[in-house]
Amino acid sequence: MCKVGIYLVCDYPDRNSFLEAVKLCDGFGVDFLEIGIPFSDPTADGDTIEKAALEVLEREGIDDFYDALKSARKIFSRKLYVMTYANIVYANGIENFAKRFSFIDGVILADVPFRESKRFKDILKKYDIGFVHFVTPETDFETLEKIKSSANDFIYFISIRGTTGGKFELDSDAIERLKKLESSKQDIIVGFGIKTRDDVKKACEYADGIVIGTEVINSLTIGRFDEFLGSVVR
Amino acid sequence: MKGYYGEYGGQFVAETLIDALDELEEAFKRFKKDRYAKKELNDLLKNYAGRPTPLYYAKNLSDYLGCDVYLKREDLLHSGAHKLNNTLGQAILTKFMDKKRIIAETGAGQHGVATATAAALLGIGCVVYMGKVDAERQRPNLLRMRLLGADVRIVEKGSMTLKSAINEALRDWVRNVQNTHYILGSVVGPCPFPEIVAYFQSVIGREARKQILKQAKRLPDCVVACVGGGSNAIGIFKGFLKDDVELIGVEAGGESLELGKHSATLTEGKPGILHGALSYLLQDEFGQVAKVHSISAGLDYPGVGPEHSYLKDTGRVKYGVCFDSEALGGFKVLSRLEGIIPALESAHAVGYVVKNRDYFKGKTVIINISGRGDKDLGIIEALEEEGV
Repeated sequence: MCKVGIYLVCDYPDRNSFLEAVKLCDGFGVDFLEIGIPFSDPTADGDTIEKAALEVLEREGIDDFYDALKSARKIFSRKLYVMTYANIVYANGIENFAKRFSFIDGVILADVPFRESKRFKDILKKYDIGFVHFVTPETDFETLEKIKSSANDFIYFISIRGTTGGKFELDSDAIERLKKLESSKQDIIVGFGIKTRDDVKKACEYADGIVIGTEVINSLTIGRFDEFLGSVVR
Repeated sequence: MKGYYGEYGGQFVAETLIDALDELEEAFKRFKKDRYAKKELNDLLKNYAGRPTPLYYAKNLSDYLGCDVYLKREDLLHSGAHKLNNTLGQAILTKFMDKKRIIAETGAGQHGVATATAAALLGIGCVVYMGKVDAERQRPNLLRMRLLGADVRIVEKGSMTLKSAINEALRDWVRNVQNTHYILGSVVGPCPFPEIVAYFQSVIGREARKQILKQAKRLPDCVVACVGGGSNAIGIFKGFLKDDVELIGVEAGGESLELGKHSATLTEGKPGILHGALSYLLQDEFGQVAKVHSISAGLDYPGVGPEHSYLKDTGRVKYGVCFDSEALGGFKVLSRLEGIIPALESAHAVGYVVKNRDYFKGKTVIINISGRGDKDLGIIEALEEEGV
């Protein structure tokens, strides 16, 4: 069974619709959620997610995101991750962040590569929060092995060279690395650019699951999230 | 730790860029050992760019201030600012890595012009990202870049200033990392950029040290330079770090030191992570990057190079502020007394010395005039129309 993860921008388009989407995901049996805490300078994101994040940031701050995540935690029965950028976790002390958000399962930081991860991972672990590493089609094999052996949560395989929402593909470099990751104890989740059921199928030939973000945000923007979710999950 | 200055620096970028940063570091190492490549760069710096730039004893300004002021004339470097030192070097690195495309960000436009210049010279395709606000207030440089053949892409997102331009350049780089080199223009960003840019800019300090010893038969008491990201400052400071010389970095105080109205990162910020590095950062209490302001597009940036953060904490460099109005004062004083129209960025260094003239009395001071002010005439004209 291929796991399905859904990425939502916290409180986008508004608190009610966001929590409604969380509830839908729970009902559809989505395996995990990644909730994006907006950051002012989201350099790993494409236009769609950046726009949504900056829109929310115009009116909300970290206390609102905390409330929203707490509510989401109550609604969603499976794994809940926070996806954000390093400075959101770093600014007030990594430990303070970990303490406050100890109810989440893991953290994904778009601008923290494996070699900078230790300071975050060690502290988060004390609070039983996992740290998600990335592997890309460019990751060298030595690093890949290190990531494989030290991962304490799923491994996020970025399938494309680009920002979120690019065109999905798996080239030979990507497939070669996915094969090497097969023996990992942790799940390998493919993300970036997955939009359709066909993309899901293709990714799941090599991975344990997928995560969809940009298309989710697009469907939320036009109020057709349930339709979209049905098209990829069922 | 590798890539760190004390606790500052690092490589806080998407995993996708790690391979490219390693490749760049490797190329930089090879370059430093390659006599022919260094000779190529030195020939270009001398015969094309016009190095060494003069160190000029500014007699009128010295009389006015009651101290001995020497100006390091980076404004006389080809394309109008110190930026070309770095772009020529990094363009050669681009060839080393066999990449066919160059991208760059620009604020005031000087780094964009210098990148477009180097790209034209070496026959490499070039895309420059520039925030909309900057494209409007530094229009002459926008036109120059286009004349030089660069594809200038105007960024209409976020602050629409230097920060937004860097965001877009980083996104472009992630997408095109296999064939593209990103020529960062300041001593910011992930390792190895701060080291590479400092290396290519350190020619300023090396020359200035030799020149002052020859002309004044002594080392200066102080060296003063403006700091946005901090490349001209690091460049000149490098020549004097080991000497008993006071080094002063001048940040943009903007309108006031209320958050959002200035760009005085080292003076008012606290450590944070932006654009690949851990360094001082202007941010709100939740870690969102703050809005900033400066009359000078080149200083209008919420971050600063990690080596500056280190030099601040160790106390080796003193950092002060110069407000918009004081920078304008410096701009006018230098124009009237010496016939030199400085860039508004550099005018902050001049303005700082003017406002602290009592402190500098009787001292020998080098001010780094990092660029020339032709690009700023539109801003000055608009201010005069407003009656400022």
